[in-house]
Amino acid sequence: MADYIKFVDVTKCDGCRACMVACKNWNDLPAEPEEFTGSIQSHNTLTANTWNVITYDEQVTANGNFEWLFRHKSCHHCGEAFCEKACPETAISHTKFGSVVVDADKCVGCGYCVNNCQFGVIQLATYVDKKGKEYRKAQKCDLCTGRLEEGLRPACVTSCHTNCLVYDDKDKVLAEAEKRLAKIKERFPNANIYNPSGIKGTTTVYLLADKPTVYGLPEDPKVALSQIVWKDYAQPLGKMMLGATTMAVIGAAISTAINKGKGEHEGGQDHE
Amino acid sequence: MSNGKTPKTIKRFNKGFIIAHWVNAGAFFTLYISALPMYTEFFDWLYPVFGGPAGARLIHRIAAVAFMLPLFIMIIFDFKGFKNWMKNIFSWKKHDLMFFPQFLREFFGLKAKVPKQDFFNAGEKVNSWLMIVTTLMLISSGLVMWFPAFFPSVVVWWAYPIHNIGLGLAVAVAVGHIYMSLVTARPSMRGITKGDVTEEYAKDHHGRWYDELQEEKQQRKQA
Repeated sequence: MADYIKFVDVTKCDGCRACMVACKNWNDLPAEPEEFTGSIQSHNTLTANTWNVITYDEQVTANGNFEWLFRHKSCHHCGEAFCEKACPETAISHTKFGSVVVDADKCVGCGYCVNNCQFGVIQLATYVDKKGKEYRKAQKCDLCTGRLEEGLRPACVTSCHTNCLVYDDKDKVLAEAEKRLAKIKERFPNANIYNPSGIKGTTTVYLLADKPTVYGLPEDPKVALSQIVWKDYAQPLGKMMLGATTMAVIGAAISTAINKGKGEHEGGQDHE
Repeated sequence: MSNGKTPKTIKRFNKGFIIAHWVNAGAFFTLYISALPMYTEFFDWLYPVFGGPAGARLIHRIAAVAFMLPLFIMIIFDFKGFKNWMKNIFSWKKHDLMFFPQFLREFFGLKAKVPKQDFFNAGEKVNSWLMIVTTLMLISSGLVMWFPAFFPSVVVWWAYPIHNIGLGLAVAVAVGHIYMSLVTARPSMRGITKGDVTEEYAKDHHGRWYDELQEEKQQRKQA
């Protein structure tokens, strides 16, 4: 199977928010009305029940005109995902589509992923069970993996009327992205393709009109050293150490018992 | 040796010290048990015991607060004992270093000639230091994980591995500590429960402390 990716060409976005509605609709997510805060942007940021948001960054252009930078903000589906590494329950995993998904049955709502996502995407949703007890589950965009399995494109992509959102063959899309980038360089000199290699690329690739930091994205995200130390060394070592200490104690108990038997013949050397 | 008479005892720990020790132990154990199901999937069956992950989290936080108390309990209720502890663990002399090779022999049940030790022997001093370091690691990283909103993200990211490493070390220390108190130096249990130990134990395990006490006694008699 050829690799497919979701591609977001923000320079084609007109901020219609159809993708937001399509996402809520398909994933059956509740509406989350927010107070007006002086911006035309509908929601402040992503939440556990709002998996994509179009951000409206206001900018003044070189010749003094006003301009909006739109961005369909959603999960990047990192090649090497912080949330997946952080999860102590191995509830987060990659699918064959390259999407990063949460297994709700395994998730215990600890929030480790929330604090480790460098994009601030994954969040905890609170639910109430039949007994009225509250519980939490991590939630975020799953790239409509259920739709992909049926040969459909993600809901947001189908709703996009400007072709800003595309879901297609990776090589084809990236080649077209390069062409598009060359074309818009004149108007957006800082334009770039955002597909960070430090996290082994992403399954949602962006063509940004300005530097990543302008959109609040890390310039060059990398798998944090803290995560490498934690998941690749500390955790296996810690488990080993628990085993080693237990073995040392058992060994000591056995050899003490054996030697004590001998010691008694020699006149007793114990400290009791 | 006791010569068959009822063994004489010596005061070792005050109430404040004893309470601080057991609050620490109880909180540590509760924290450990309530975190285990998250640490390895092997212990997932513990979740229902705590009424689900949310219950485990709540208990972990209550125990976390208790875990921060012992230092204050000690300082408020047994400052003298606390000062003695501090003085001891900062003092490293030849008899402390000589302790370890002999201790290893004793630990595995061989004949050993351990040099006379302070109020806290060298092993207890090492235990104290490891405990202080791991406790600081666990508490500081735990607070960051509890209140991530107040810390920059780099600090939050590091809190997780530090909490994890702190746990691994602390459990190793605790297992060793518990094993030794139950098996190798059983009479010491009386010291941390009732507060006194037999004279014989003091002489055998903490010779330098015992000598000091005898000296003090002599001086009092002379005075």
